[in-house]
Amino acid sequence: MNLAIVLVVAAVLALATVLSVAVTRSLQVPGSAGLTGSIRPIDVEAFRNLINPAEDAYLRRRLPPAQFRMVRRQRLHAMAAYVQVAASNASVLVRAGQAALASGDPRVAEAAHAMVNDALLLRRNATIAIARIYLALAWPNSSFAAVRVVDRYEQLSGAAMLLGRLQNPAAPVRLAALL
Amino acid sequence: MLQAHSLLWHYLFVAPNVLLLVLAVLMWKRNLHREFPVFLVFAVATAIEQLTIYAADVIPSVGATTWWKLFWGGLLLEALVKFALIGEIFGRVFGLYSSVAKLGKVVISGVGVALVFLAATAAAYTPKNNTHWIVSGAHVLEQTIYMIECGLIVSLFVFAAYFRLRWGRAAFGITLGLGISACVHLATWALAANGGLSSRYRSYLDFPIMATYHVCVLIWFYYLLVPARKPKAPTRKDTPPPEHNLEVWNQELERLLHQ
Repeated sequence: MNLAIVLVVAAVLALATVLSVAVTRSLQVPGSAGLTGSIRPIDVEAFRNLINPAEDAYLRRRLPPAQFRMVRRQRLHAMAAYVQVAASNASVLVRAGQAALASGDPRVAEAAHAMVNDALLLRRNATIAIARIYLALAWPNSSFAAVRVVDRYEQLSGAAMLLGRLQNPAAPVRLAALL
Repeated sequence: MLQAHSLLWHYLFVAPNVLLLVLAVLMWKRNLHREFPVFLVFAVATAIEQLTIYAADVIPSVGATTWWKLFWGGLLLEALVKFALIGEIFGRVFGLYSSVAKLGKVVISGVGVALVFLAATAAAYTPKNNTHWIVSGAHVLEQTIYMIECGLIVSLFVFAAYFRLRWGRAAFGITLGLGISACVHLATWALAANGGLSSRYRSYLDFPIMATYHVCVLIWFYYLLVPARKPKAPTRKDTPPPEHNLEVWNQELERLLHQ
């Protein structure tokens, strides 16, 4: 009987998940209306400084070990915040790109597909990066690099810029400009 | 009314399967079978299998052992087709994007292996609820198949939701129907296999299973045959956001991109 209860509870939870996804999907507004407004700007340069291994090495040399660990943890928290915003922006771009996929213009559709691919890759890398950051928080002395996330973010900005240009030649790169 | 061989029981056993065959014919006529060939196979195979089991149930000359053998055969065939269908849906949702296709395969394979292990463990702990192995074995097999199916479908939904991937209307409808059906089947077969219910109470479980299946067939009808509403024409809302410091940002990004 205990196994029956466990399986029934699991089935109810699974059903709730499936139905919540269905409801969320039906509530989603088709198209990219209002999506660009939910993109949060990121200071890429500041993030690059934050993840620069040379800066970490400098801090390691200059600070006592206990203080270094404290500073390193603060930097890792800031890094996680940046990556989470990048991941969230990537999600917005996935939706914007998928809305543009239906475009009759093959150039727009192609650019949208490329952007969605890049955004998905960024989201995947951001997920891995966040996991690594939290792991590094446990061991602040370990070395960590999120360079791939930055590189991917820049590539994504390029893809968004191209899509923006193709969709609206008069007002280019608005979406990308927010990234 | 809620008894085997009542009018409702006959209706719920036959109607969804006839509807599923009608759906298969309509899919063929509308060339939808090219888009979802495995779903077409699933619709035809499941409907024929269920109607065969129904016929075997109502024909007096068919013995209990023959009926259970037919049930086992149908169950195994249905499971094979369903897992192939999940593979087809996976390909349609994730196959378009190379960046997540590989990760998706790894995740789904990993989840699949874990589910097989869990389902096998649950089967090992399931008590034998009938003196005839062919009956208790069928209950355990149902529970095992629906555990794996349910887990795979939920993983598909969660993975797609995490990456904000937009489902095609038909793929979404098929998966939604499969998911609802798998969850209800899992709960009811878990009760049948582990609940220690008497055969009278166990026969009540047929009704939620058959009614849910009927609802799922109607869901497939809706998503596969009713065209989606066209999105509204672009409005001013679709235009980009206010132009605050856009030029500065653009310059910065251009500089970064050309480094």
